[in-house]
Amino acid sequence: MMRKIRSFFDGRSYLEVDTPILSPTLIPESTIENFATRFENPFLPSVELFLVPSPEVYMKRLIADGWGSIYQISHCFRNSEQIGPYHNPEFTMLEYYTIEADEQDSIAITEELFHALADGETADHLRPPFNRLTVEEATWQLCGVDLEHHQRQSSLAAEARRLGLTVPNEPESWEETFNRIFLTFVEPHLPQEKPLVLDRYPAQIECLAFQEGPWRQRWELYGGGIELANCYNEERRLSKIEQYYSDEYARLVTKRTDSGMPIADIDPDFAQTLAAMPRVSGVAMGLDRLQMLLMNRKSLGEVLLFPLSSTLE
Amino acid sequence: MIKAGQIEKGTALLIKGQPFIVVDREFVNPGKGSAFVRLKLKSPATGQVLQETMKSQDNAEDITVADRDCQYLYNDGESFHLMLTDTFEQIEVPMATFPDYEFLMKDGETYRCTFWESQLLEIQIPPKVVYLIAEAEEAVKGDTVQGATKYVTTETGLKVRVPIFIKQGEKIRVNTETREYIERVNN
Repeated sequence: MMRKIRSFFDGRSYLEVDTPILSPTLIPESTIENFATRFENPFLPSVELFLVPSPEVYMKRLIADGWGSIYQISHCFRNSEQIGPYHNPEFTMLEYYTIEADEQDSIAITEELFHALADGETADHLRPPFNRLTVEEATWQLCGVDLEHHQRQSSLAAEARRLGLTVPNEPESWEETFNRIFLTFVEPHLPQEKPLVLDRYPAQIECLAFQEGPWRQRWELYGGGIELANCYNEERRLSKIEQYYSDEYARLVTKRTDSGMPIADIDPDFAQTLAAMPRVSGVAMGLDRLQMLLMNRKSLGEVLLFPLSSTLE
Repeated sequence: MIKAGQIEKGTALLIKGQPFIVVDREFVNPGKGSAFVRLKLKSPATGQVLQETMKSQDNAEDITVADRDCQYLYNDGESFHLMLTDTFEQIEVPMATFPDYEFLMKDGETYRCTFWESQLLEIQIPPKVVYLIAEAEEAVKGDTVQGATKYVTTETGLKVRVPIFIKQGEKIRVNTETREYIERVNN
């Protein structure tokens, strides 16, 4: 699989890069917990370093520096997530950034990649062409909630209660209420016959994907009902990026001050770096999950040589 | 009250005033989003299955349950009749509450049962149970098309797919969750 992936991108003139796994700064993402460690040296002040949850922090610098389309296969680390059939705290990520492209172009590229990976044994749920649904369509079809008409949290919460969910009276974000509905009635019931691109996520889910009205130019790819990849049309407007950085960092600090988890610094110049990128669309794909599905296996433990769960036993 | 993140399979919760048992629990992290717990709950009173998704920090109302031994007496087609082995008190529960349990429980056998106050919430069938084969079709020689398996019926009426060498009167160990054959048990 790795050889096929490299040959696919090499053949399309993407440059393979190898960026650091240890970084002193990260892009703020309040929902992803990090692993922290320290660099100790008798001649220098001690520095806190983080295992990257995704290589994007360095890859985006290269894109801003004019390296063109690039890809990387690297180990990434996410703390505090459960260890289960589809999760391991250390995992292998494929990230590819295509310049002068948007998220719709990335769908076509990803379909070609899947075409290159498929062989006679490949199950239909990994075989292109991909099915496509927007989040709005899927939510409407699977539970009759019209997201565009419930843009306020209180009205979405009323919909959730109508569907029988318990929504506590404590204040919560629109995104949290949306996830209650999405995770109960939508995600488990998405059509699984073919790979599925779930497109145009609600704008209330903050991220660095371009916003278009109430939606963002972002998709996720599901194979056999399992989330495999996430794609953005990358935001490049400085004011939007700065806004995201300050809002998300504030959320992250509030959350981690409560939980005591490490808080990674952010690079004060990074918003400028992102704004200097050419038009670009990035895809991040979990390769362990992909390999599991390609091999018709049911859990990551069957494809990882040393899953953490067995190491800890 | 417990945090939703602490809920486990088997936890008893009060939801809208009704007791529910968690039959399935899964942690989910949406692509961008905080940790959620996806629950499948069953109402022991009605058999109703409920899906809930909670933030791992949400509070859930858990209830204290107690395990007591019950002997399974019989079913009359409508209800299971059981007897509490400590008080000899007999209880009756609609069979619809525990679908297909009639194929898993053996007459006269004692089972651990979960109670909330006086309400029976769950009959705990051990994960692996040995059953006697009551009926087995003869294997057809040379028939290996189906991966050399056939169906047998246990003393309790459970239909299980087994390798063709299993005969009537023999005993097999069965995974009661998946209803799948595990192994033959020698007497």
